[in-house]
Amino acid sequence: MRNEDHAVDAHYPHIHDWRSATKVSWICSLCLAPVIIWSVALYGLSAALVWLASIGSALISQLLVDAAFKRFTVVNGSFLLTGILVATTMPPTIAPFIPAASSAFAILIVKGFFGGNGKNWMNPALAGAAFAYVNWPAAMRDFVLPRALSGVDGLSAVTPLTLARDIGVSGQTRVMEALRQSGYPLSALDSSLTGFLNDAIFLPLGARLPEGYMDIALGLKPGTLGESALLVLLAGSIVLISLKLIKLEIPLAMIAGFALLARIFGTGLPGEELFRGDVLYALGSGGFLLAAFFMATDPVSSPVDRSIAALYGLAIGVLCYAFRRWGSYPEGVCFAVLIMNVISPTLERRLEPLLRPRAERTAA
Amino acid sequence: MMSIRGFRRGGVTLPQRMAFSHDPIENAFLPIHAKLTLRAAGSGKEARLLVSEGEELREGQLIARADGKGTTNAHSSIPGIVRRIVRGRSPDGTALNTVVVSLAGSFSISGKRPERYIWKSLNKTDILHLLQEKGVTQVSTGIPLYDLLHGKKDGGPVQLVVNALEMDPYRRVEEAILIHHPQELIDACDILNKILKPESIAIALDAGLQTAYIDALRSHAKDADLKIGIESFKRRYPQDMPQLIERALRDKRGAAGSMLCLEPSTLMALHEAVVSNKAHIEQYVYVGGGAIKEPRIVKARIGTSLGDLFEECGGFKGLPERVVINGPLCGSLAADLDSPIEKTTRSVLALCHEETHSGAEQPCVRCGACVKACPESLKPYLLYKLLIAGRANEAYDLGLARCTSCAACAYACWSRLPLVQLFDRHKAQGQNHAQ
Ligand code: SF4
Ligand code: SF4
Repeated sequence: MRNEDHAVDAHYPHIHDWRSATKVSWICSLCLAPVIIWSVALYGLSAALVWLASIGSALISQLLVDAAFKRFTVVNGSFLLTGILVATTMPPTIAPFIPAASSAFAILIVKGFFGGNGKNWMNPALAGAAFAYVNWPAAMRDFVLPRALSGVDGLSAVTPLTLARDIGVSGQTRVMEALRQSGYPLSALDSSLTGFLNDAIFLPLGARLPEGYMDIALGLKPGTLGESALLVLLAGSIVLISLKLIKLEIPLAMIAGFALLARIFGTGLPGEELFRGDVLYALGSGGFLLAAFFMATDPVSSPVDRSIAALYGLAIGVLCYAFRRWGSYPEGVCFAVLIMNVISPTLERRLEPLLRPRAERTAA
Repeated sequence: MMSIRGFRRGGVTLPQRMAFSHDPIENAFLPIHAKLTLRAAGSGKEARLLVSEGEELREGQLIARADGKGTTNAHSSIPGIVRRIVRGRSPDGTALNTVVVSLAGSFSISGKRPERYIWKSLNKTDILHLLQEKGVTQVSTGIPLYDLLHGKKDGGPVQLVVNALEMDPYRRVEEAILIHHPQELIDACDILNKILKPESIAIALDAGLQTAYIDALRSHAKDADLKIGIESFKRRYPQDMPQLIERALRDKRGAAGSMLCLEPSTLMALHEAVVSNKAHIEQYVYVGGGAIKEPRIVKARIGTSLGDLFEECGGFKGLPERVVINGPLCGSLAADLDSPIEKTTRSVLALCHEETHSGAEQPCVRCGACVKACPESLKPYLLYKLLIAGRANEAYDLGLARCTSCAACAYACWSRLPLVQLFDRHKAQGQNHAQ
């Protein structure tokens, strides 16, 4: 009845929730901004160049797409988020043309070609990262030590994940100890912080925190730009969760699946016992948490229904563990998310009917 | 401890944008010109006009007589002279005949003291006749109260629910009536009790209401020897929809029979008609929104223009983005500031951008906010996609017909999609199809 013969277009509701797609992409980008600062502080100019190349190329690509489709979507901020996310998967000293090309691929091909925002069937940033892995595999594995750890710029090193996976016989069954034994660097900051924490908190409780975790949390180890700022990243995640901008089911299921497998099957050290895996180490490395909170939760490429979303998260966690333990890219969490992006529509189509109330199912 | 009702899933929590006030409800100034429309919202027919231009009118004088089901008597809300009879617009822009009355002469009704129990000597038919005569209309729907009660009178058991729930951020009119006029409300229930003989009477109210007010209602009910249940509801839109109240209460009682939901403002009109012999010429209206200087509830004469009300409430302090009649969720845009308030106008709002959060439509980002908001467990994003793709049958299979047009999904939508408009359009087409 409402719209029947009204001269004025009813167009209700007249008020909306403050959340909008545009605001959400800006907020996500803002939450990642501290990561930029942190990584530039750790790695200096080369890191800044990577960010600049990735975001700049995302902006230009978005403008091109807008010009081709004659609309103006730059303001909705999704290019920025894509640019930032592409850069987070890059090693700090990579040649700037690689992030630039990956961002351009993400926005021109994955997003532009499939009809713009909301239509892409995989997360453009992850597709961009995968594009880089496939085309420049060597460059994507070329990590360096942060300046704060080595004292010089650009000292090459392998990431703890790669190292831990490739350690031969060491006699150690805990990752951190194995890493120490094989001469893996440890920052002075870590020793003093860990010492302080042990004295103040853990020892009175009868526990002891091994050295090395602080380095992981603070990014004092070789790794991608996104990995370098675990603590700020967690702060950003808390913002996203408290503003209810992401489906919490996805990161939770992802972490649960991954942590469980990591606990049971461990890191892959020879002689490691079952059920003694180092969960903290596993979660803290390889950009896993970044992917869990910022990449897998991209609404466009993840399932809408919450229970399907949980399953989706769980599958990513499992795949990610498999890739890390047995794949050739220990940092390949983005492949796990990408695969699930692609499977997600099928998953939804198959599972959706089962979730409907029974009365409706029989009626339909 | 009283249990608090609410729905199992769905709904949206809206920000409360109206301060609770203990102040009594003021009468608005009489308008210089009252524009009286001859048809209630939602009805296709107009009442039969009885007056002509130049005629002198008393306050409350009949100007148009009901012409069959769906129409009500209309009365002059002010004493004065019929200036013009024009084809005008209702607040939401519907074209209809309008009688413009210019204020003149003296008041006949305003000063008279009502006699509280005069109705006790009337029988059912007399009371119903009185309601018809005085043009009393259900404020929330525009259905003439006579039609509503006449239909229920001998149609099996009835549960009467006084619906004082207002879940939109700008309305506390019914609650204010509950607070300031408990006795009138209980008397109105008593009158309805006489007409309908309902199986039960319940007052549905906001769980946040202070217990002192509830106690007042209880004691008045006790004095009147009425058994009235109090049902508290969680504050969550769209709990105030009769269907949802019914569902919540039915879950509890499993009661048979039909449920009749009436708002306190309707009961006040009923009370004034029966006890004070007064026509439905006044309306409790909340005048507010972020662009208004002194938002408040006023009791205004029907036919007062929106502009007059805004002026009385201090005028604009900012530029309103839209002027909305009857609530920001399901209400309609006002055609212009000259449009008058009607028997169904419960609020007029001048909203600014900070409140509307309006934005350009974007493609669906699959955020799922609409699914979370829908109290009917529908998947609005999917329905939207199917309807756009011309697969209406599948949308109906997924329950499109259950949609109550509450607009909770469109409120929550991250992409500002016109979800509920599309659903409305298809449901209207579906109905035409069925007929
Ligand atoms: S308008 Fe319809 S689909 Fe949208 S929330 Fe309300 S009932 Fe659900
Ligand atoms: S709320 Fe809007 S954008 Fe989000 S899933 Fe529903 S229709 Fe799509």
